[in-house]
Amino acid sequence: MTDVRPGRHDIPVTMNRRLLDYYWERLSKNQLSLFGLGFIVFLALVGIFGPIFAPDPQKTDFEIKNFPPLGCSIDESVYDIKTGDLTTTVIQGRPDHPLGTDSKGRDMLAMLISGARISLLVGLLATGIAIFLGTFIGVLSAYSGGWVDNAIMRFTDIMMTFPFFLLLVMIVFIFGPSLAIIVLVIGLTGWTGAARLIRSETLSIRTRDFVTASRALGASDGRIMFNHLIPNVSSLIIVMATLSIPGVIMAEAALSFIGLGDPMSTSWGTILNTGQHSLDTAWWVAVEPGIMLFLTVLSFNFFGDGLRDAFDPRAGI
Amino acid sequence: MRSYIIKRLIYSVIIAWGIMTITFILLRLGPTSPVDRYILNIAARGQDVESVRQAIEARYGLDKPLIEQYFTYMGNLLQGNWGWSFSTSQSVADLIASHWIYSFQLILLATIFAIILGVGLGMLAAVKQNTRIDYAASIFSFIGISIPGFWLGLMLIMVFGVYLGWFKTYYDTAYPVWSLENIRQLILPVLALSIGALAGYLRYTRSSMLDNLHKDFVTTARAKGLTEKAVIGKHVLRNAVLPLVTIIMFDLGSVVFGGAYLTEIVFGIPGLGQVSFNAIFANDYAVVVAVTLIGTFLVLFINLATDVIYTYLDPRIRYD
Amino acid sequence: MTTETVLEVKNLKTWFFTPRGTVKAVNGVDFVLRRGECLCLVGESGCGKSVTALSILRLFDSPPGKIVEGRVTYGGADLATCPIPYLRKIRGKDIAIIFQNAQSSLNPVFTIGDQIAEQIMVHERISRMEAMSRARMLIEEMNIPQPERALKMYPHQMSGGMKQRAMIAMGLSCNPAILIADEPTTSVDVTIRAQIIHILQELKTGRDMSIIFITHDLSLVKEIGDRAAVVYGGRVVEVAPVDDILKSPAHPYTVGLIACLPDISAKSRRLPSIPGNTPNPLDMPSGCPFHPRCPSVMDICRSVAPATVSITDVHAVSCHLFVNAGGRKRQ
Repeated sequence: MTDVRPGRHDIPVTMNRRLLDYYWERLSKNQLSLFGLGFIVFLALVGIFGPIFAPDPQKTDFEIKNFPPLGCSIDESVYDIKTGDLTTTVIQGRPDHPLGTDSKGRDMLAMLISGARISLLVGLLATGIAIFLGTFIGVLSAYSGGWVDNAIMRFTDIMMTFPFFLLLVMIVFIFGPSLAIIVLVIGLTGWTGAARLIRSETLSIRTRDFVTASRALGASDGRIMFNHLIPNVSSLIIVMATLSIPGVIMAEAALSFIGLGDPMSTSWGTILNTGQHSLDTAWWVAVEPGIMLFLTVLSFNFFGDGLRDAFDPRAGI
Repeated sequence: MRSYIIKRLIYSVIIAWGIMTITFILLRLGPTSPVDRYILNIAARGQDVESVRQAIEARYGLDKPLIEQYFTYMGNLLQGNWGWSFSTSQSVADLIASHWIYSFQLILLATIFAIILGVGLGMLAAVKQNTRIDYAASIFSFIGISIPGFWLGLMLIMVFGVYLGWFKTYYDTAYPVWSLENIRQLILPVLALSIGALAGYLRYTRSSMLDNLHKDFVTTARAKGLTEKAVIGKHVLRNAVLPLVTIIMFDLGSVVFGGAYLTEIVFGIPGLGQVSFNAIFANDYAVVVAVTLIGTFLVLFINLATDVIYTYLDPRIRYD
Repeated sequence: MTTETVLEVKNLKTWFFTPRGTVKAVNGVDFVLRRGECLCLVGESGCGKSVTALSILRLFDSPPGKIVEGRVTYGGADLATCPIPYLRKIRGKDIAIIFQNAQSSLNPVFTIGDQIAEQIMVHERISRMEAMSRARMLIEEMNIPQPERALKMYPHQMSGGMKQRAMIAMGLSCNPAILIADEPTTSVDVTIRAQIIHILQELKTGRDMSIIFITHDLSLVKEIGDRAAVVYGGRVVEVAPVDDILKSPAHPYTVGLIACLPDISAKSRRLPSIPGNTPNPLDMPSGCPFHPRCPSVMDICRSVAPATVSITDVHAVSCHLFVNAGGRKRQ
């Protein structure tokens, strides 16, 4: 139903829907990014609903420790000190622990599901904080100009000089390893890239011809910011956010791996931490969480890359 | 040109000051002070907590106002007095001096490897755009940047150390650092550390080459009768590497240092990363801070060097 | 100026095979170039004249582009099919090409001296010092001030005119028999344009050089050209000595082009133009490429591409108006 009123009242709504369809069409041509999106959705579903159905990941049962995944077998050798016998039994995977168990008898599948939830939570929250902060600082800096802009940029330069992981480690060491701290720390230290990009994009938009044209037509600053700045910057923000999530997930996994993760939670990194000591006796404990990490990061990279290409007005047909 | 270098130097000094100040602020913001951490260790040995605390505070001036502490802190740092590591019973400076070489070697080898392979493959992929080689390189680069370096290290140890037995599963410090046997030990760690950076360099090189492959001056070079090798190897490459220099240097701080930290822990290499790691679990504050600061100053220096080098490489900036 | 032919282009077709379709940029171009003459290739943007120039030395991007038909005869060999090493010996030495945009055509990270010397060293076995001193002489010949200093300059440090002259110096460095100039004056201002035209005229008379001069500007054709070939839709539609073409154009497109030249003495206020648009090379019209815009279009024009016929022994045209009027068919 077309609105016959003159003016741009109706354009934002219709335009957005058509615009979204256009972007989706471009995105869906890229098979890799569709795969990425699919895996992310799958992971989200697992993370949200998985823990409801899965057994308690923390439940230890030394009777069933070190069981391989379903379909695999491993030799377990037991050396009897008294008799001097070396007995080797072959342990098979069991269907009630399809991905095996770790050295304390915890079910791998349950732990992986719990890890998925944590990785996604940390990924989304920390990235959210970082991007929000970065955008705020970037726009503030660009609009303030003068010495405020200068000071903020110098501060950004200082923060960017710190090697990200070293800074993370030091701060978690100072403030203690809890999930909340980790999320906050990653968010509060990862904003620098976003701030720089947003600031430069804002500055360049202000000088672009279509803004000058708008001003010539009588638009106010606020209207310009709303109608021009936000749509142009929002696609950049979305792409930046999607491409930052893998780094965040890796950072949290790395922290957990070296033992600086939240001791209460079972993140993939923590599983790897226990798994690194049993590479010969229980290889799956080290392999499975790593594969999950790899696939998750890969999916976000595929999807983010596809998003970036879809949004870029200059790329391809 | 000279004035630019001087300006950059002054700027770097300001950033260095900022780094030290922010570190100080972070330290003082923590819920537990360095003293408390030290006390934790002492209490385990059954000494009288309170008197020890007062002695330390008096000695390190921790009972003085914050500003005075700040200046003492800055003074100490600048004079090279970086504290005492109680977990290893030596000064932090000595500790660093005996371990830095391992980190340096690892990072150096990994960076060289990543540059040679990454840039080389990127060039190949660009020249053979849209062929199978290009697609393979693309997939490889996606995998490379997505694979967790520390997990890759574990997998390499598992496959080549535990199951195939080609390499030892621990790092032996018996060999002289630059000997062949020692470097052989570093094959797996260098591989694990460099993959991420390598994949990144591949992508950037490919895209930079593609940007330049279709520029007008390339047609001119061909029109002069140059061979394809000269056209690409000289004319295109010289233009394509310019932005790469900045990217490689930049990656060093954000990707390689963090990766090296983890790689040292996984492979048991006694570099500064492992030193810091041990210090964390011994609550040895000074060491953790020192390693972080060293890493940061190194990044600062590398950034400065990169800026200066870049102005020499790009004549458009040199003569302005 | 002798009637000796140095270059012959016969039925040249260069097509680009892209995912969006086949771009028939050059679709049947014929012309000859004689010693010491300046042949102008005239046409609007997109008509295929630049691609023709590139095709002579096979400099277009080869994965999408390919010479599908035709011959480019030089020195007894067909440049369109000869092996690349042979072609490389010709490039820059026998046939040199200079481009429109000197800023982007020169490599920004090498000095002018380096770039000129490089070309000399590719084709001649001389030392770098010798090559540099020859480069210096060439720069001096082009009237670039302070030649010693200019050798060490980078392209971005030079003015537009200097860059263009440096490029000409580079093109001439090995004393080529043929110089192809692709719109060398389009992106420079009027004073520089005069200098460049002057240089080219001296080359023609002084060095007995043949020049292919590509342009869309008819006034330049008059200044520097001996003969002109009008290009439209990837084909040469008319070729004749410059005076003949300007005074008695035959092809309707040429007539329209000349009519478009702004005439101060004309009474009307409206500038005449040719109705319609230049053809999209992805979707060339059938038959004669000009037929959608031609005021004298006939039925046959829509389906059959006209052959090239001679009106006089120096004037040829490719148009059905003349094919039927009894002109002799060109072989």
